[in-house]
Amino acid sequence: MTENNQEIQEQTAPSEKANTAKKARTNLVSRREFVTMLIGSGMTMVLAATLAEPLNPIVQSVLAARPPLPTDPSHKRHWVMVIDLSKCIGCDYCVYACEATNDTTDDMRWNIRIDDETETGEVFHVTRPCLHCRNAPCVEVCPVGATYHRDDGLVVMDYDKCIGCRYCEAACPYGARSFNWKDRGDTPNTRAPEWGRPEVPRRQRGVVEKCTFCIHRIDAGLAKGLMPGADPEATPACVNICPVRARFFGDINNPNSEVARIIATTPTLRLREDLGTDPSVYYIPPRGLA
Amino acid sequence: MSTLSLKPSQRTALSRLWIIFLIALMGVGLVAGIHVLTNGLGVTNLNNHTPWGLWIIIDISSIALGAGAFTLSAAVYVFGLKQYAAIARAAVFVGILGYSSAMLALLMDIGRPDRFYHPLIYWNVHSVLWEITVAVVFYTSVLVLELLPIIIESTPLKRYRLARGIGHLLHRVMPIVALVGMGISMIHQSSLGATYGILTARPVWYSPSAPVLFILSAVAAGPALTVFLTLVVSQLSGRQMVPRDVLYGVIKFIGFACLAYLYLKLWSWAASFYYSRVPERDLSLELLTTNTPYGFTFWWGEVFFGALVPAVIFLWSRLRRHTSLVMIGAALVILGLVMNRWNVTLSGFVVPLDWSPGVREVFSINTYAPALVEWAVAVGIIGYATLAFTLGVRYLKLYPYASEQAESVSQDKVEPKIQVPSPVRDYGG
Repeated sequence: MTENNQEIQEQTAPSEKANTAKKARTNLVSRREFVTMLIGSGMTMVLAATLAEPLNPIVQSVLAARPPLPTDPSHKRHWVMVIDLSKCIGCDYCVYACEATNDTTDDMRWNIRIDDETETGEVFHVTRPCLHCRNAPCVEVCPVGATYHRDDGLVVMDYDKCIGCRYCEAACPYGARSFNWKDRGDTPNTRAPEWGRPEVPRRQRGVVEKCTFCIHRIDAGLAKGLMPGADPEATPACVNICPVRARFFGDINNPNSEVARIIATTPTLRLREDLGTDPSVYYIPPRGLA
Repeated sequence: MSTLSLKPSQRTALSRLWIIFLIALMGVGLVAGIHVLTNGLGVTNLNNHTPWGLWIIIDISSIALGAGAFTLSAAVYVFGLKQYAAIARAAVFVGILGYSSAMLALLMDIGRPDRFYHPLIYWNVHSVLWEITVAVVFYTSVLVLELLPIIIESTPLKRYRLARGIGHLLHRVMPIVALVGMGISMIHQSSLGATYGILTARPVWYSPSAPVLFILSAVAAGPALTVFLTLVVSQLSGRQMVPRDVLYGVIKFIGFACLAYLYLKLWSWAASFYYSRVPERDLSLELLTTNTPYGFTFWWGEVFFGALVPAVIFLWSRLRRHTSLVMIGAALVILGLVMNRWNVTLSGFVVPLDWSPGVREVFSINTYAPALVEWAVAVGIIGYATLAFTLGVRYLKLYPYASEQAESVSQDKVEPKIQVPSPVRDYGG
């Protein structure tokens, strides 16, 4: 409860000063972290002492496998997307750019557009990438853990583990997953080069795939010191191409990011919040939609 | 039975024809299977809206129909009802056929059959499907352990001391094996229902009663298949394969299992559709009843003919004496179970997902009918199981207490007298 309140306070903090103050405070080692470290180091010493001289190889491997102490204590990243339905004109540019960049076909789109309407009959367009749920049903049901959460919140696929059982397709509430029913061989991508060039290898027949938030751009960009969401090279193709700037991308845990500011200041909705999936895609509702 | 009046030479010819027919079925399945393996699942009618179809239905049906093995083994070894040893062996054999058929169907269904072992090395313990996969592997091993003594006893293997020793040892540890088997079975038979029941996004599936409904129906239909096959063998061979009191015991048990299933099924329905209302669930049911034969098949196929009629036949002692009625009843239970698995699997996919925030009905209903190649693979799997059963009955001692020579088993009415007990046998082993 209190944690939630804090989060809300953080998100809705009126000035940036408050945010930086918060950030400065989190830089310090918290009491819990301090105690954990103390216990951890104590246990290591006790182990080392009891096992005598050259460390037992088991202990060595345990120590080696321990995650390194956080060198960048700022925050844990969590990538989110904001899609402004009041701006979206349903041009499908994001759909095509995704198809070209991630090398998909018309019947296995990672990012789709549908037309819906408000209670007053006004038509609006919804585009839907993978929502990268924090409680993702696909991750929960996958028998082999081929789809999993990364530390930065992305729900990703390990194509080498997937056995193609398609339980994730049955479980995903948003129909965001597609299966490779056929071997696509070298058939040309119908959206390239007009909408972009394939940037990732084509998936093999028999595995499930889905939107990755252009993980390859994020990772390569970060390695170059670019900021996903701000630098186009490190930003998902669908966000870059949007002619009306209806899509935003960034780190929700960075209070200075555009997405964090939008989410803190604008009412947003997420798809099927009642299911408790806690998606990472936030929609700014169109006028007339509660 | 007409075959009884045939001359031995005619009977051999007929059985040879039957075996050739089954091999032909397997051939059809093999050709279709190779077609699927080389060209991918794109040749089926499955798609991203209906990613599961006929093969998954076969998979979950055959696992349920193999449930006679754990039910009757538990009766013998866990609950000490030794007389059921007369039918438990056949049940174990049918169980192996069910589980191997399920594995065949699954192997065809997954996109990467070459990675079938992945669940054993990459664990996601939170996945109900992982738990099922591991349990099915373990339980199939249990079934093999239960079958091994039968194989040793029925084949020239019994001449070897080592084999006899293994058989004897297995026989001694069988109570533990059966207990473990019962535990694993109860878990994964229920988890198969949970596979559907836990998916919150599909209102037709999302239900806490699904796991229990699955195991109750399996506990009814598994022994029903064993009884049906046993009666077919009895009719064809003219021998009584299982003492009548044992058969009646199993039949009564199936009847009660049907009642338990009906009880939960009706309450599950009443609680979700009559006494309470969830708009999404109501809409789903409406979509199903207006667009598919779901309502008809549910009430008539699953409830009335699939459970109620068999329960009446099996529990009413005057009806249960008619072998032909019992066979019809068992067949109804089996068909009712398959229809239930069909309805469960497809209903959840037919109703489209609804995630759009507006008021328009954006997503249209999904349709699916198995492609020819899917049917062909199905025919092959059924051919395999039937052939294996035919050969098993011929070469394995599946019915240790079968009467020695042909009795007059009249097809329609078994004499109403109480069965004269067969000479006292030592069931204890």
